[in-house]
Amino acid sequence: MQIVPVLIFLGIALPWLGALLVWWAGDARARLQHGLAVFFSVVSGATMLALLLIGFGGENSGGSLSFFQGTAQETSPFGAFTFAPDGLGVFLAVVATVIGSLAVIFSVDYMRGEAQLGRYYAMILFFIGSMVGLVLTTNLLLVFVFWEMTALCSYGLISFYNDDPKAVAGGMKALIMTQLGGVGLLLGAILAYGYLGTVDVNVFLERAAELPTDVLAVLAFGFLLAAAAKSAQFPFQTWLPDAMEAPTPVSALIHAATMVNAGVYLLARFYPAFAEVPYWRESVMVVGMLSALLSAVMALVATDLKRVLAYSTVSQLGYMVYAVGTGGIFASQFHLLSHSVFKALLFLAAGAVIHAVGTRDMRKMGGLGSQMPLVRTVFVIGALALAGLPVLNGFWSKELILEAGIEHGPLWIWILMLITAGLTALYTFRCVWMVFYGQPRSHLHVHPTGIAMKTAMLPLALGTLTTWLLAGPFSRLLAETMPHHEMEAEATGALLLSVISAPVTWGAMAVVGLGLAAWWQRDRLLLVSEPLADLGRFAESSFGFEAINRRITEQMICMAEDLRVLHPGLLNWNIFGIVAALVTVLLILALGA
Amino acid sequence: MSVTIALSIILGLVGIGLYALLITRNLIKVIIALQIMIKGVLLALVAAGQSAEQPMVGASMALTVIVADTIVAVVGLALAVQVRRRFGTLDIKALSILRR
Repeated sequence: MQIVPVLIFLGIALPWLGALLVWWAGDARARLQHGLAVFFSVVSGATMLALLLIGFGGENSGGSLSFFQGTAQETSPFGAFTFAPDGLGVFLAVVATVIGSLAVIFSVDYMRGEAQLGRYYAMILFFIGSMVGLVLTTNLLLVFVFWEMTALCSYGLISFYNDDPKAVAGGMKALIMTQLGGVGLLLGAILAYGYLGTVDVNVFLERAAELPTDVLAVLAFGFLLAAAAKSAQFPFQTWLPDAMEAPTPVSALIHAATMVNAGVYLLARFYPAFAEVPYWRESVMVVGMLSALLSAVMALVATDLKRVLAYSTVSQLGYMVYAVGTGGIFASQFHLLSHSVFKALLFLAAGAVIHAVGTRDMRKMGGLGSQMPLVRTVFVIGALALAGLPVLNGFWSKELILEAGIEHGPLWIWILMLITAGLTALYTFRCVWMVFYGQPRSHLHVHPTGIAMKTAMLPLALGTLTTWLLAGPFSRLLAETMPHHEMEAEATGALLLSVISAPVTWGAMAVVGLGLAAWWQRDRLLLVSEPLADLGRFAESSFGFEAINRRITEQMICMAEDLRVLHPGLLNWNIFGIVAALVTVLLILALGA
Repeated sequence: MSVTIALSIILGLVGIGLYALLITRNLIKVIIALQIMIKGVLLALVAAGQSAEQPMVGASMALTVIVADTIVAVVGLALAVQVRRRFGTLDIKALSILRR
């Protein structure tokens, strides 16, 4: 028996089985629930790591998991339900399960004593399993199904505190926006089937050139819409900050391991098919740039610790999307890896802070560093990586993106991305300073950090310091297993040397340094910052996007109220409607035949 | 039984049921109308099995529907009894106030 299909099956089935068992254990047995959740998430993480290690190149490699192959394939429009490992998919599955399991371990302390743990853990495990399925399947319709599953789980988890109206509204927003993107994906799957007669991703990538140009353009922009909605890119960036009402481990899960990576994954996966579509690459770059720049400015004025991190996620995802637009698939995926590790670390550390002091408002914090030295240390490590300072992993991947950008993209977008890098350093240091240094701004009683929290944070801190060493093997993995993407395998040393020796890097470091200097000299920059105060206020209202959202929602509600007339709630009218619909369908069939 | 006769009986039963559903406002009568329609559907299943020369398939489908249909009738009538007790009326127009 081949081992790869078994591992793939376990990667999806184990978290789902765990979800069922946690539910079955019942909320009365909280300890058992914690244990089950940790066990199943860690085992699935180990399974995916095993798949990464033995799935490629060894004697056990090869093979894929397939349901409904053969006869069903000819008759069913859904095609064979195939799960095949390749570099991109397995890498993202590893990120989802490993970082997901760390978030679960963190939850043991964070969620201790909360009610309804069954719902919480079941959703998280179901989420992880769905994400593994999403990245490993090669069936476009299954991609859509898993896509919607992750949307549903994120809704359930963001609204976990369902007696809090803000949490429910945030969940709704996330669900509606990502659902809107899902329409683009479904449209793509249907069009692909209509024109090529298959929903297999690899066949699609191979034969994309056979599609008519306009159909391919619809597909390309539909997928861009889907990815932008899922990864909270411009103009859908508003759902991610509102998703901060979720428990903090869930935020870490959504931002680092599962939800938002799916959009970047989709763009990277289908890049070879769409690269030739006119204006598509430019649109992708502009979407990435706008998200990165706008959300960096918003992060600069936010006062809620988790919101700062949320905006920084949107901004870093903007970098990844931009990298895909320039054709730097490896750079974008490498930044995704770095970002997952350091953003999970930042969120978990922020969760430890919030858990300890009981507030998310940074204006009330300050001087916490001396009271929680370990959390401060790991947070600063994550923050330095976010700011892109050497030698942490964020530095290498961000420089790779900027390098790809100046080689293959327009200069003006690249300059704006460079400015964003400086802004990133600025808001990161503002955040670290407000939370951990300076004078305590109010009297906060600090609870000690639990052992499970430390267990979850330390591997991530270690990863932030070291994952850049994996650059070589990672680029080889992607180059060897992705036949449709043009990528070159490079050794770690050569790759890192090229980053260090590139003039782009030094320019970027200078801008980052400027960002830091701006923070140290913030009192003397009043001349500049006074005129910018209006911009800050504009950014606080998220550049008017919230208002647009509200307007759209109000319009929809008005329309629904108007359409209510058609739903009198009378059985007779409903029956009439059913009969009328039946007659219409029969008429259409009769005319069509 | 020829196909024409079967078809006309089926259409008659379903049509009577639909017509009753369209005009009646009494919950009990609604359930009766549904039952009439379902009887028409049963006949349609058996007739379809006959004309496709697979009478077993049609008959077994019909048997399944009979079981489901009994449950529908029982639950529907029980609901009607409860509705009558709670709201004091069986007029579905008056009951549609529930949607608010």
